[in-house]
Amino acid sequence: MDQWLEFTRGPLFRLCFVIMILGLLRILILDFIGAVKLYRSVADKTIPWKLVLSRTLQWLFPIKKIGRSRPVYSVISILFHIGLLIVPIFLFAHVKLWESSVGTSWITLPFAAAYVLTLSTVAFGLLLFLGRVFNKSSSFISRKQDYIWPLLLLIPFLTGFICAHLNISPAFYSFTMLIHILTGNMIFVLIPFTKIAHCVLMPFSQIINTLAWKFPPDTDKAICKTLNKEGVPV
Amino acid sequence: MITTQITTEEKGKAFKSQRKPEVIDKQKLNVRYHIEDFDVNDRPRRFLESFAAILKHSNYKIALDHFIRMSAKCSRCAVTCQVYQATGDLKDIPCYRTELLLKVYRRHFTVGGMLKGRLVGIGYLTDGDIQEMAESFWNCTACRRCVNDCPSGIDHGLVTHLGRYILSEIGIAPKALVVSTREQLEGATGNTSAIPLPALIDSLEFLEEEMFDEKTVHIKFPLDVKNADYVFFPAVSDFLMEADTLMGIAAVFTATGDSWTTGKGYFDGINYGLFYSDRILERVVKKIDVETRRLKGKNVLIGECGHASRTAKYYLPGYCGGKDALPVINIMEYTHKAWKEGKLKLDPNVIREKVAYHDPCNLARQKWIIDKPREILKSFCKNYIEMAPRGEDNICCGGGGGTVSIDEIRPYRTTIGGKLKADQIRNAGCEILVAPCANCKKQLKELVEDQGIECEVIGLHDLIYKAIIFDKSLIVENKEEEAKEEE
Ligand code: HEM
Ligand code: SF4
Repeated sequence: MDQWLEFTRGPLFRLCFVIMILGLLRILILDFIGAVKLYRSVADKTIPWKLVLSRTLQWLFPIKKIGRSRPVYSVISILFHIGLLIVPIFLFAHVKLWESSVGTSWITLPFAAAYVLTLSTVAFGLLLFLGRVFNKSSSFISRKQDYIWPLLLLIPFLTGFICAHLNISPAFYSFTMLIHILTGNMIFVLIPFTKIAHCVLMPFSQIINTLAWKFPPDTDKAICKTLNKEGVPV
Repeated sequence: MITTQITTEEKGKAFKSQRKPEVIDKQKLNVRYHIEDFDVNDRPRRFLESFAAILKHSNYKIALDHFIRMSAKCSRCAVTCQVYQATGDLKDIPCYRTELLLKVYRRHFTVGGMLKGRLVGIGYLTDGDIQEMAESFWNCTACRRCVNDCPSGIDHGLVTHLGRYILSEIGIAPKALVVSTREQLEGATGNTSAIPLPALIDSLEFLEEEMFDEKTVHIKFPLDVKNADYVFFPAVSDFLMEADTLMGIAAVFTATGDSWTTGKGYFDGINYGLFYSDRILERVVKKIDVETRRLKGKNVLIGECGHASRTAKYYLPGYCGGKDALPVINIMEYTHKAWKEGKLKLDPNVIREKVAYHDPCNLARQKWIIDKPREILKSFCKNYIEMAPRGEDNICCGGGGGTVSIDEIRPYRTTIGGKLKADQIRNAGCEILVAPCANCKKQLKELVEDQGIECEVIGLHDLIYKAIIFDKSLIVENKEEEAKEEE
């Protein structure tokens, strides 16, 4: 068992983490190249930077947006994200792992905060899932991954909580820890290929949809030619 | 703001098709708008070919790629969309509408989708999919209100725009728009309302006489003046339906003394290309450029019309010269400037009714023109009230995206598209609703009529015309004598 644990949190973790980083870099670069190509191809180069920036920030820190549409969902989603981002990065045990392998460390969460945040994330994740199941319009537009993600994300949180805070037998501990690490690794791999790509793409949404409304010149001729419609009346 | 769902009976009325069953049969398309005859065979293949051609020669790919990676399916747009709120039909959720096209894109134009499609053997575009898109994309008023509620930044308006564009390439586009555009680009009159030049000249002369009678000031519509500061392009339908707006604009220019003109070669600001085809958009925008340059005008001036202003402002630089393109302004910007500089005096005792301002989506969504008209209105309307939400979050009149020009879907527009707006107007209790947009005006007039709301819908310059105070030097003292002299 210990070998398994060593393997999953050593080489396997490194592999998965690298896949995530490379995967995220790939979509970031594709987005960037696309935006640059677009910008080059259009004649109108004006960009309303102030508007784009303010809309981007408004969504990255969506305090102002809470009261707009779906206020309850918004609050739950924000609290869910807080735990999701803070716990894995600042957990004492995780930072220790980084320190022992890479040599760097950073501030860590106090024990009590980790306790509360972990549980709250689980609770809010469950609420998100239930909300999706029972909200008529949400469930209508949801794909499989939309249901799976909130649940999948809960597994490492739950298992991590069990290992850290409950008094359990060593064998059960190892088993739970293995699940914790495996699902964590799986999440890393899936992030760049699913909707969780939003964690890096989101800051660019507003600029991309602003740019996308700029159309390159002389497409009329080009498209008519491709579609054999030259000289065809309106 | 939230509205209530309509009843089944109202729904029946709103969706009742005016088209004959045999046409629906022949065109294999059960939609509510009329379509000219087109080739119904092999639609999926031709749709994909057109999609491919458009992707190849334009920039939609980047946005579509971004959207398919981002979509979080949070369902906020459902709460926002006035169409979904009124119909309660899950298929009217903006994100669902968008998915109709993103699905096709993912399946046929991404490597992952093509592989998955081949392996699992599903998801090939069907004729049914096309029928659903043809219905769905014209349910949307392209108001883009949902965009401001999408954390993923998915621009449902852009996707609808692209979807309609592709559909139009295989012949599926509202006849009303296509016929008008044909007249504008290839017809004898060269404008969407098919107004012949002599008729235009006649009616402008008539308006000049009327204005002289009312104000005893020589208010002119200068025609074809070279080197004017402003070359004027209203929604051409204003010449037929919104004479008061035009009179107000002429009055403002008389007060400021700036040079402006309407070109005899081309005088139509309408651009239905924005609603269904970028190819049309480009061709129409170029006509404005050509006419303004022929007249050696310095600025392009668009009248009270949201989509006309947006197409000129954003696409003249895009299609006609980038940085060197002619500057474009909307008439309200001009009037506001004149008012600020004190060149425009308005009598605060003329308009006593409760006045509210409606933001046209195409002017307000990107925060272009929001406060300027309000400042003017507040300065002379004693009883000005504000409706909420407003500005960049305004509620669409319900006739956006070209739907207002499709007469056969009026029941849809006034019971579904405009329902939320109707509630808002009713709540506000305004007696005059100022809507500085030819599309909004037509739709709102029909809306208040069909919904039985007591409210007059007019343009900003209609009110200005009523309240304007001319400088004494402009007023002709002895009207009778002058009239005789002229004879
Ligand atoms: C770092 C920046 C991130 C930002 C700005 C962000 C933002 C968002 C937004 C705006 C939504 C849409 C739902 C809503 O409107 O509240 C969302 C949903 C979601 N995010 Fe994130 N996110 C981030 C990172 C992450 C990460 C790292 C994960 C997971 C590992 C994650 C998991 C999720 C999940 C599962 C949902 C769907 C919630 C639901 O079921 O409705 N997010 N996120
Ligand atoms: S653009 Fe307007 S009408 Fe269309 S889906 Fe969005 S909110 Fe609804």
